This record gives sequence, C-alpha cells and structure tokens, in this order.
Amino acid sequence: MSTDEKGATGDIEAIRKGFETRGYICNAHIATSIFLSEKLQKPLLVEGPPGVGKTELAKATAELVGKPLIRLQCYEGLDEAKALYEWKYGKQLLYTQVLKEKLGDLMSGAQGLKESMTRLHDFDDTFFSEEFLEPRPLLKALWQPGGAVLLIDEIDKSDDEFEAFLLELLSDYQISVPELGTIKARTTPIVFLTSNNTREIGDALKRRCLHLYIPFPDTDLEQRIIAARVPEMEVRLRTQLVAFVQGLRQLDLKKLPAVSETIDWARTLVLLHARELDADLVRNTLNVLLKFQDDIDNVDGEVNALLAKAVQAG
Amino acid sequence: MSEVLGDFIRALRSADIRVSTSESIDAGNVIDLVGFDDRQTLKDALSQVLAKSDDEKQAFAETFDTYFSFEQFKERPAAANENDERERQESEEDGGDGEDGDPSQSGSASAPGGGGMSGEPQGEPSSANMDLAALLERGDQAELQMALAEGARQARLNRIRLFTQRGMFTRRIMENMGLDGLNEEIERREASGNQRGAESLGQAREELRGQVRDYVEKQLEIFTANSGRQLREEVLAQMRLSNVDRSDMKIMRELVRKMAKRLIALHSRRKKVARRGTLDIRRTIRANIEFDGLLFHTVWKKTKVDRPKVMAVCDVSGSVAQVSRFLLMFLYSLQEVLPAVRSFAFSGHLGETTDLFKREKLEEALVEVLRDFGGGSTDYGQALMDFEELALDDIDHRTTILILGDARSNYGDPRGDILKKIHARARRVIWLNPEPRTMWNSGDSEMRRLSPYCDKAVTCASLKDLERVVSELLRSAV
Repeated sequence: MSTDEKGATGDIEAIRKGFETRGYICNAHIATSIFLSEKLQKPLLVEGPPGVGKTELAKATAELVGKPLIRLQCYEGLDEAKALYEWKYGKQLLYTQVLKEKLGDLMSGAQGLKESMTRLHDFDDTFFSEEFLEPRPLLKALWQPGGAVLLIDEIDKSDDEFEAFLLELLSDYQISVPELGTIKARTTPIVFLTSNNTREIGDALKRRCLHLYIPFPDTDLEQRIIAARVPEMEVRLRTQLVAFVQGLRQLDLKKLPAVSETIDWARTLVLLHARELDADLVRNTLNVLLKFQDDIDNVDGEVNALLAKAVQAG
Repeated sequence: MSEVLGDFIRALRSADIRVSTSESIDAGNVIDLVGFDDRQTLKDALSQVLAKSDDEKQAFAETFDTYFSFEQFKERPAAANENDERERQESEEDGGDGEDGDPSQSGSASAPGGGGMSGEPQGEPSSANMDLAALLERGDQAELQMALAEGARQARLNRIRLFTQRGMFTRRIMENMGLDGLNEEIERREASGNQRGAESLGQAREELRGQVRDYVEKQLEIFTANSGRQLREEVLAQMRLSNVDRSDMKIMRELVRKMAKRLIALHSRRKKVARRGTLDIRRTIRANIEFDGLLFHTVWKKTKVDRPKVMAVCDVSGSVAQVSRFLLMFLYSLQEVLPAVRSFAFSGHLGETTDLFKREKLEEALVEVLRDFGGGSTDYGQALMDFEELALDDIDHRTTILILGDARSNYGDPRGDILKKIHARARRVIWLNPEPRTMWNSGDSEMRRLSPYCDKAVTCASLKDLERVVSELLRSAV
C-alpha cells in the first residue's frame, strides 16, 4: 500500500488533492472510497440524488489514473448484445461463402464421407473466434491494454436480467461467451456503477461492490465546488448563492436543485454580470435551478425569506 | 484484530444490518489497508463495505460510534503525594513479572471489545494478578483499557445476552484482571500498617469496578440493542391477528411494511416488460446458419408479459375486520409489484374501496372502510350478488380473487352458484379463513358450500400466514 508507480492513488489525501487539481472537489469520504476501490479491486457502487457528481467522479478518476473512460449507459431493454459483445454477422456470412469455395480444394481426393468429415474436423474453424467478435463497452474495458475505467451508468434503469448478468464481470472481472469460453480481463479495470435509486439494487450486486452514498454537499463543500468550477464569480455573490441554494433544499420540492444546477446558476449569474442576489434576478433565473413549474410556483412565495437569509450569510 | 471486527459485525447484525461473509472478509481487508489510526477514515471505509443502503448507513454510524467509543477511562486526577510510594511499588513489581504490562502493546489499545492481545496465552491469568495494583497506581489509562479488554475477552463478554448477567460479567472481568491479587495487596498493606496506601488502593478498586460495570453495560447495549424488539416482532408475526393488542399496532404496521418490502425484493425480480415483436437478429442468424445464412427461420424477441390482477374481497364485520385490515395493508404496500389491486369490502352489502385507497392514506382509508361497511350482520349471499354486479365482467383469466372471511353467513344462502361463476372465469380463487380448520362448517359457517369453488382455501390468522399467502400469490401471479 506504499506509494508505488501509481502515486496518484497512493493514499487518500493524494487522491483528494489530485481530484482538486482536476476541478473535482470532494471530501475525504469520497476519496476514501476511490482508494479502497483501487486497492481492493472492487467495483464501486455510487448512489445519491441526481446531479451530485456521480458520473463526474468516474470521469475525474479516469483522468487521475490516466486511463481511458469507457462508459455504458444503462436503459430498459439493454441486453448483452449491446453491452458486451456481438458477432460480426456480415463477416461471418462472407466467411462461410469463402469457406464454401475453399471446401472444394480441401475435400479433393478424400475417399468417402468418413474421411471428408475427418478433414473437416481437422480444418481450423474460425467461425466463432475472437476475430469475429465485435466488442461492446464491457468487453472493451476488459480488453483495453493497460486497463480502463469502466462506468456503468444508471444501473437502476436496466433490467434485473442485466444486473444478474453483470455479477460475473463484477466479481471476477471475466465474462463468459458461450461459443468461446471465459474471457478474462487483461488488466483489472476500475469499475464504477451509478444508481439514482429508482429501484432497489439487488443484494447480490451490492455484496460485490463497495457502496458510496454521495449526499448533497454542505455549505462549505459547495462553496469550494463553485469556486473551482466558476472561478470568475465574486466571493460575496458565491456565498449568497450557495446559502440560497442550501435554503432551497430545505423546502419540500419535487426535485431539489443539485450541485450541477448550482453550477449552472452560478454561470448564468456571471453571464448576467450580477454583483449580488436580488429578488428580481432570482425570480428571472429560477428556471435554471428548478426544473418543474410547480416547484417554481411554490418557491416564488419564499424567495424573499430565502434571499434575506442568503444576503445575511453573504 | 479479527476478533474486534467479528464482534463489531455481530453488533451490526443485531442493529438490523445484513452483513454477508464476503463483506466481512472485505471489511478485514479494509482494516488492513487503512488501519485503526484515523477514526473517521476507518468509519468512512467500513461504512462503504458493510452498509449498503440509506437505512443501513444510518444504523452503521450509530453502531460504530457506540462500539468504538473511547470514553471508558477518563484521565482521573492523580494524587501527587502518592508518587514516591508508587515508584517504590513499581520497582518492586517489575522484578517479578515485568513483561506483562509491556507498554509497546498499548499502541493497539484503541480497539475495545477484547481484541489486540488475542495471541496471549490464556492459561496463566495469575501473572496478571499482581499487576493490577501497580496498574491502578500507575494510572496508565491505555494500559488499564487493555487489561479490561483482555479481561472481557477471557470472560467472553461478547456472549452477554441478558441484563441480569451484568453483575456476573462485571465480577468475572474483575477477577480476570486480577482482583484477587489486588485484594491481597490491600490486605497486606493493612496488615503492615500502611493504612493510607490500602485506602487509596481500595478507592481505586471501587473506581475500577464502576468502570468495568459501565463497560459491561455498554457492551450489553451494543450486542442486544435490538434483540428485544426482534423477539417481540417474531412473537407478533405469529400471533393471531384478532388477539393483537392495540398498543402493538405501530410495531405491526412496521412489520407489514418490512414483510412487504421483502416480498417486493423477492418478486420484483421476475416482473418483465413487454418487448415483443422485434426481430432478434442474433438468434435468427444462429438459427439459420444451417441454411447457408438464408433467413429461413425468423426468431422474434418475446418476453413474458403478465400483469397480474388481484381482486381482494374482504369481510369487514367484527370477527374478521382485524385480519382484513392487515390483508389490505399488505396488498397496498405491494403497489410496486401488484399495480392493479382492486379491493372490495362487505359485511351486509358490498362496495368497492379501490378509489378510497388511492385517494386517502392507508390508515384513514381503513378507518373509513370499517365505518362504511363494517358493523352490519354478515350476508355472503348479498355480498356475492353485489360483487357479481360490480366486478364479474372485469374478471378474466389473469385475475386472482382473494376472498377473506369466515364464511359465517348468519344462516342465509351463501350463493355458492355465484362463486362458481366467478371461479369459472378467474384464474384462481383463494379463500382465506381466519378461523382454524376445525371450526369450519360449525354453526353458521358455510365453508362446505363455498370451498368447492375455490382453488384453495386456507387458514390465515397471523401475519406469517398472510405473508405466506401473499408470497404465493406473487409467485404464480407474476
């Protein structure tokens, strides 16, 4: 566990610092999870409300360890043909055509059916071989020389069958292709799974993963995130903005604004050359922060109260 | 180290966190990686391996804080005037058995629960005895904690189950720590006229006793925090629902929720989505290789679509109301896997309550149902007639009918003929009777005339029974 050639992930603090220089601000908790995932070679299941940077974490890690990010977006109906591998049917068909022509040469001089069959068996069959295998993201991640960061995004959107099918990959970093046998990872990839909790993830899958829950950031962390992402924003406005958003999260809304929305809002305000928050400005730009008309209507009445608190904080 | 972890995992399990063996192994690896040095890091790291949902994370944080707490031995103000005496004492003791209090081991003292020194031979507790007096006088808290942990380990404190065992464990731990030696030492001092030394040591002994008792109590809490509740839940799940006390309703509701959650987890896996009608290219080509690649056979994607429909007909008259209540509670907690539940309630006449349950919260709806439909004298004939009128047309080969009632129709005609019609149309008719089988057909019970038209008639009196029935319903419906 001492600092080795992968100095970037040598210890928890180094990971945190590494992320920070790449614009991904996180706390020690998140850094710990990356550290463990790398050391234990276990997939990391990341859960949390939308927009807190789950996907971003995978991207930042890929950048940190300097490996390519291979992403698989899950959706209902995703099957192994799209996730794992597909045979190159066209080429396979051509191959049979070619084979048919070659067959004449092969069989010439064969005495009787039995010998023909023996020759056919001796003939090296490549119909089902790696040459005709079209790798999809999962297989690509296993084949990637030097390893990769594999992001299986929104696993909760996929079917249960797919989840079950992932188990082999997640526990042993290998997959079984019925025609070929088992394919092992050349270098163990770092695997991230993200979930928005639209449905409960199966126990079997959870057992194979480390589990990280990313909540909404606290005031301090969110300030640092905004500072890193929107550096041109003034400190005073930033404090107000973060205080306002934090206040907003206390309300009962359909969809609470996440970090990504805060960043968008910060960029909007910078574009508008805002110096500080005021009621009109907030009302006009609220749609950046809230994505439901109901929410916007609900918040409209609260703007002044929230604003007063935010300005006080600034 | 593994002993500390093992105990901690048992504590987690008693706090309702499910930890599998493979996760325990992971936890061991995690500890090897991060060590015990940084409490917060350890907590972060372990929480990622051991607690894998929101609830579990919360329970984990609490358990971690109680289990790994370091407030056992507060630094007690040392009396300065005892210094010289202590030094004398120490040098005396060191000659005899100095190795035992090896200060190099105190580094791992941060782990309570009886770990750290697992490699030490157990056969010679007497070697520790003489030490205790010196240990107390030295006032080295880390070492005391170590001795206590070791004593607790020898006394098998992690087996503590009942609060009545507190005294016994306290005494055993004290003995393992060398109480006898300490007492002898005090007597010796008294005999030799060292009154002051004897007193101060006696006082230290009492303090230690208090600390040990605290420690035992804390461990008791850790290991048995939930066992009382678990026992209660177990009993309640098997109790006849009509006997459940009102004061236990809260636990019962929670229990239903838990059971429903388990059922959902079990059965939602099998629910499939329609994805029919697209050509399955892969399998088509595979199927046609023998025809030289000509697409002779086509293979279409097909997935099983089965939207189960459940109609629950519940008797809500006095005798059965309580069971109906829980059946409805169950069915409506299963919305995720049983989206299309229609419910009907009756005692005299029958009415549909589906909308009511959609509109209102479960609790309020139940009260309303009982008010509107309960209380009348039961008439199965009338109820089935109403049901026929309301819902017979909607019953098809995918509908499961659940009828919950005692079939006591006050000597009225139960109209078995209607049930026969229903049975002919529906996929299944299941009759749940809260009475034990021996009571069926006695008095005005009409089970004899109704049960021939049921695919299944079972006794259903407790939550466990209900769970079994609902689980079976899901198994074959989904």
